[in-house]
Amino acid sequence: MFERFTDEARRVVVLAQEEARDLQAEKIEPVHLLLALTRDQGRGGDVLRAVGVDPDGGRAALLRSGDPLDADALAAVGIDLDQVRAAAEAAFGPGALERRAAERSGHIAFADGSKRALEEALRYVLQLKTPRRQRAIDSGAVLAGLLAVGDPLVERVLRRLGCDAESLRERLGGASAA
Amino acid sequence: MASPTDVTTAAAADDPDTGLRAIRALRELADRLEVLQVTAARDRGWSWQQIADALGVSKQAVHKKHATSRRDR
Repeated sequence: MFERFTDEARRVVVLAQEEARDLQAEKIEPVHLLLALTRDQGRGGDVLRAVGVDPDGGRAALLRSGDPLDADALAAVGIDLDQVRAAAEAAFGPGALERRAAERSGHIAFADGSKRALEEALRYVLQLKTPRRQRAIDSGAVLAGLLAVGDPLVERVLRRLGCDAESLRERLGGASAA
Repeated sequence: MASPTDVTTAAAADDPDTGLRAIRALRELADRLEVLQVTAARDRGWSWQQIADALGVSKQAVHKKHATSRRDR
């Protein structure tokens, strides 16, 4: 499938893996694709920059939106994360709860949402009214695919940055845009 | 920060948005705790099979998830 990707789109995929590794994630999540797109120099990155989304802003928004140990969400089901953390640290030492599973050996797998984002990128390109031979998946298509999946964390990050999926879709254009 | 006594637990039952977000956070918390407990069990000489039995999963699953970073496979 990657043979249909432009070089810049492939670079987005590589950058997404870098982001996932930097953030010590288990898998490459849709939000890592978003962060990668903020570093893209092609159409995908252009659209994000046009609405004020940049790499630093993206990272900062993610840190504030998406701590996987979501204290508020846990509190909603009656779990006090502070207490759990204190108990874990008492038994296993400082930072116990921050330890992840096995160290990454290099290759990180794609989460299902990320795989679907790339499939949606292909679907987006196939809908465009361009000649068959020009239907390469560029970084704009990757962004379109990402938005099509509607990952909650991606949407939270975009909202925190003051933009929304709909206006991004309009800027990208395509068969389904107005 | 919210505390369990302040926040209504109605969210857990009525609102899928918050409820599913809570499930996701619980899974993440469970994963972190699993790393700590499996490591502790191995340090005490538990076999992968014993750990798998305690977790209610297959030995292969535990091995795949936890053995890759340890020398004592």
